[in-house]
Amino acid sequence: MTLRTVLLNEWRLLAADRALRVVLGVFAVLFVYALANGMAWARFQERTVEAARTGNAERVAALEQELADIAAGGRPSSPFRDPRAPNVLGGARGARTAVLEPGPLTALAVGQSDLLPYYYDVSIYTNEASFQQNGEVENPLNLMVGRFDLAFVTIYLLPLLVLALSYNVLSEEREQGTLALTLSQPVSARDVVLAKLAFRAVLVVGLAAAVSLLGILATGGFGSLGRVLLWCGTVTVYALFWFALAAWVNGLRRSSAWNATVLVGAWLVLVVVLPAAVNIAAGLLHPLPSRVEMITAQREASNDAVNRRSELLARYLEDHPEMAGGVVAEEPGLGALAWAATDAVNTRLEEVTAVHDARRADQLALVRRYRFLSPALLAQEVLVDAAGTGDARFARFQSQVRAFADEWRQFFVPAILASERMDAGVLPDVPVFAFVDERPADVARRAVVPLLVLGGLVVLVSAGAAARLGRVRGAD
Amino acid sequence: MSEVLTMDAPSASDAAAPVPVLEARGLSKRYGDTEAVTGLDLRVGPSEIYCLLGPNGAGKTTTIHLFLGFLEPTAGSVHVMGLDVAAAPLESKRRLAYIPEQVMLYRNLSGLENLEYFAALGGTGSLAPERLTDILVGAGLPRDAVGQRVSEYSKGMRQKVGIAIAIAKEAGALLLDEPTSGLDPQASNEFSELLERLRDRGVAVLMATHDLFRAKESGTRVGIMRHGRLVNEMSTDEIGHADLERIYLEHMHE
Amino acid sequence: MIKHIARKEFTDVVRDGRFRWCAALVGALLLVSLGHGWVQARQAQEELAAAQATARDHWESQGEKNPHSAAHYGIYAFKPRLALSFVDEGVDPYTGTSVWLEAHRQNEFLMRPAQDATAAQRVGALTAAQVLQNLVPLLIILLTFGVLAGEREQGTLRQLLATGIGRRELAVGKALGVAGALMLLLVPAAVVGAAALVVGSTGPAASPLARGTVLAGVYLAYFAAFVGLGLAVSAWARSARTALVVLVGVWVVNGLVAPRAAVDLSKWIHPTPSAVEFAHTLEQEMAAGVEGIERPDRAAFSEGLLAEYGVERAEDLPVNEVGLYLQESEEFGNRIFDRNYGALWDTFERQGLVHEALAVAAPLLAVRTLSMGLAGTDVEQHRHFATAAETYRRDMMRQMNLDLAENSRTGELYLAGPELWADVPPLQYDAPTLGWVLGNRLLSLLVLGAWLAGAVLLAAKRVRLAEVA
Repeated sequence: MTLRTVLLNEWRLLAADRALRVVLGVFAVLFVYALANGMAWARFQERTVEAARTGNAERVAALEQELADIAAGGRPSSPFRDPRAPNVLGGARGARTAVLEPGPLTALAVGQSDLLPYYYDVSIYTNEASFQQNGEVENPLNLMVGRFDLAFVTIYLLPLLVLALSYNVLSEEREQGTLALTLSQPVSARDVVLAKLAFRAVLVVGLAAAVSLLGILATGGFGSLGRVLLWCGTVTVYALFWFALAAWVNGLRRSSAWNATVLVGAWLVLVVVLPAAVNIAAGLLHPLPSRVEMITAQREASNDAVNRRSELLARYLEDHPEMAGGVVAEEPGLGALAWAATDAVNTRLEEVTAVHDARRADQLALVRRYRFLSPALLAQEVLVDAAGTGDARFARFQSQVRAFADEWRQFFVPAILASERMDAGVLPDVPVFAFVDERPADVARRAVVPLLVLGGLVVLVSAGAAARLGRVRGAD
Repeated sequence: MSEVLTMDAPSASDAAAPVPVLEARGLSKRYGDTEAVTGLDLRVGPSEIYCLLGPNGAGKTTTIHLFLGFLEPTAGSVHVMGLDVAAAPLESKRRLAYIPEQVMLYRNLSGLENLEYFAALGGTGSLAPERLTDILVGAGLPRDAVGQRVSEYSKGMRQKVGIAIAIAKEAGALLLDEPTSGLDPQASNEFSELLERLRDRGVAVLMATHDLFRAKESGTRVGIMRHGRLVNEMSTDEIGHADLERIYLEHMHE
Repeated sequence: MIKHIARKEFTDVVRDGRFRWCAALVGALLLVSLGHGWVQARQAQEELAAAQATARDHWESQGEKNPHSAAHYGIYAFKPRLALSFVDEGVDPYTGTSVWLEAHRQNEFLMRPAQDATAAQRVGALTAAQVLQNLVPLLIILLTFGVLAGEREQGTLRQLLATGIGRRELAVGKALGVAGALMLLLVPAAVVGAAALVVGSTGPAASPLARGTVLAGVYLAYFAAFVGLGLAVSAWARSARTALVVLVGVWVVNGLVAPRAAVDLSKWIHPTPSAVEFAHTLEQEMAAGVEGIERPDRAAFSEGLLAEYGVERAEDLPVNEVGLYLQESEEFGNRIFDRNYGALWDTFERQGLVHEALAVAAPLLAVRTLSMGLAGTDVEQHRHFATAAETYRRDMMRQMNLDLAENSRTGELYLAGPELWADVPPLQYDAPTLGWVLGNRLLSLLVLGAWLAGAVLLAAKRVRLAEVA
């Protein structure tokens, strides 16, 4: 009863308040702008993925054609690029493009997809250095600032909308004098504030959810209902956190100006300062060596390898009998020697990368531990993950590409070592990359802890707010 | 006009075992070192208009806020129709209507919308707009002002919306805090007439006021408060205007 | 008179617990981010310098080789960190740090530090520049929103003006008081910054102190504009609450909405090709040439050369035909690279202009542009280094090809020695001058100036029109 009465009254108040209507209108425009940006980016990525696939198909077709021509008595286009040589067929000329489809909800959260590569040309030469390649062509300035997508609007601006709507739910009633009449009715301040906030929550979450669903519908992302639910749920819980905080501050019975100052301060600390502090701490406690040493290592290893090819080959064959298959020619061919050198460089690169990755893992562990300090970091993690543009999905892609590169080498290297030639007949047996996407359940499992913590924060702050508001009896 | 004044009179059985509508027992309220109300005993029965007189800071408003449960007593208790306010704050407020000194309303809503809101909060259920309009007009608001935004209202018009809110609640008790301060004489007179009609319906009224004249005119009993204590209590039938003024001033100069 | 008001305002602000907390927070963040930036920049510069020295060492100790093999071996160039980059790391984490300079190809810069960071780290990066651009204005807002609106609400404004003081004096006094309080925060930061600059400027010298001074001036102008804006809104608003809400709104647009809105807007107006498209176009043009840039034809080139020297066979030429042809195709490639990379970087710069132009709605965009420019960490100075590295590559390739051409005959086996490698000068990068930077940034200077002037005028007007009660 109280709830419905207050909701109706709030609706009337909102309808009569021009400033509030303007704020809501501005936010609706921002939401739509963000969605349009995300959708444009999703379309761009889809086109790029298509182009990468087409390019790959054309390359393979050309190879096939040349192999057929040679089989019919033709000559290879260049003696160094003879497609019958396994290090050419499995090398750059025959490389296969491994593609990561854009995340199902890319239109909602660009996430890391503007920075990290989402396709690799995989050949026998794919090594750790290959994973250092750049992602999409992008203005560094734009990368630095980040995109205006729904995730940004949700993480940064939505809390401000929530606070603008609710920083004075109780203080304003007191300041304009209506609280006395209200509380002389058989209602508690807690119920009134709850009803007023419920009205605003429906408005804000409704707006966010409606725009999100619009984007999902428009980009056909409904294929993964689990992700959609996770997205909407996270937005809701995150918004509720800010409502609860506003309720709590209102329960302190200070003036509207005081509430506004404190809430803006809380926003600043939780959304800007704490995430920055976590990162600064991570950088200071676990400084990351730059990747440049990878270049030095690669150079030194290859200088070294060139001089010790035969020795390296012998060692390689000892270490990898499965590659040799017992058919090594008595006189190792040039291809085999070159491969041994390549492998030595790769091994060295893996060592350097392993050291680097271990340091990086320490840094990430610290960041992950302290992300619980900031609801913004938690929400951002889950939102980007739900969209399929987070670090986890890219890491999964990279590890599958790594595995695929291994498989690819397994296919070609024995032939290199045996100095064999290949023909069009092997093409149907060549390994094929198919990305095994994460299941919504995997995403949900990763989201459990951050969401539980976020939910716990909501419960905690709400309880505090309820206790504070429960003590509000009179109008002053 | 009269059909809108339908506040329930206490039933006949109440008269047999006379439970006062409003009752304070040994009521005290202390803020830090200052005693706002001390050992107050007060009973207001049906059809009584009890006027609390006293200078600023005597504890009149505090007493009313204690009845409303806005404040928690330091000692003693307040009861509305036998209900302990501390134990059943919402139940007791359901039986009370209250008009603050300054009736402040939602400025962006009309008088009708304000009444509709507060009446619904009061638990009377939703009333039809025509009926609410009748109540507003009955309380003295011009009919053409009913749909206007409150931001265009004068203080007196806001006060009338406050009265309408109290009437619509159909409560057995009415708490008034300086209801006529700042009203012009005509509005004050209309207000007094309204009070008498309510009293005729059996409503118990507790009114804090500075206005000796109106207390004598409308009140059935007066209580004089000073420094948080009830220093005198008398029936208005027993005394004249001049007596009341003399007694009041005597107490003030003690 | 002004002195008294300023002193009262200063005392008032400094005694306010809220100011102390906020100033302590912002000051701590400023100092920590300066220190962190400095440590990081120094470490990065040391690594880069070491890597550059190693790269040179690799180049010089190649042993005997054909110059073209050496050209294929190439050398890596590492982008140095400039002295002021610890204040504003700008786009540095998002541009690669190293580029391979090899025969036939202009390569992209690789190894972006940001690629090693998580999404969370991307959200929460905080440099001294961001503290100055985002948080100090917020502090100014907290200091100014109440100066007039609050006095009016409390009724003290009436009293104040009744003493016969002029409104302009009142406004100037209040502004000076707020500025004084801010200086408590900014002066130590500036001293620390200057000290760090003097102690530890490891990067290439590019008049760091002059750049630093201009940088300080830019930030002061920005803060002054915010003080003016705060005063104007405080004079205009009915209540302190309204003033606060309006100013926080301005701050959100300035620091959050406009910068990101500019990103997507710049991409709509000046789209860039996808990496696949870019690589595909480059590959096609390299293979077949493009209108006006013909791929040199080996046979025709040979014939021309034979005709020029009046000989019948390539073996009879006084030069090695291969070296000359390699140089010819190198020059063809250079024109194709200039065309494609040039167009791409031009697009980036045009996108940058969109950011700069939007500064009319958000002064932060002008300040950010100037700050990155002066710190040497903007896109233009990345391009400046990239161009220097590419010029170096081309000179090096020419030297290799001409050595091959001059010191051997066509078809001969020729090996050059360490003298040739040592003869190639090391990569010497001169960062652009202050004049170059400011010349590129006239638009931002202009817009920032306009904001400052506009804010002062607005404050003067609003204070003149302000209602007393």
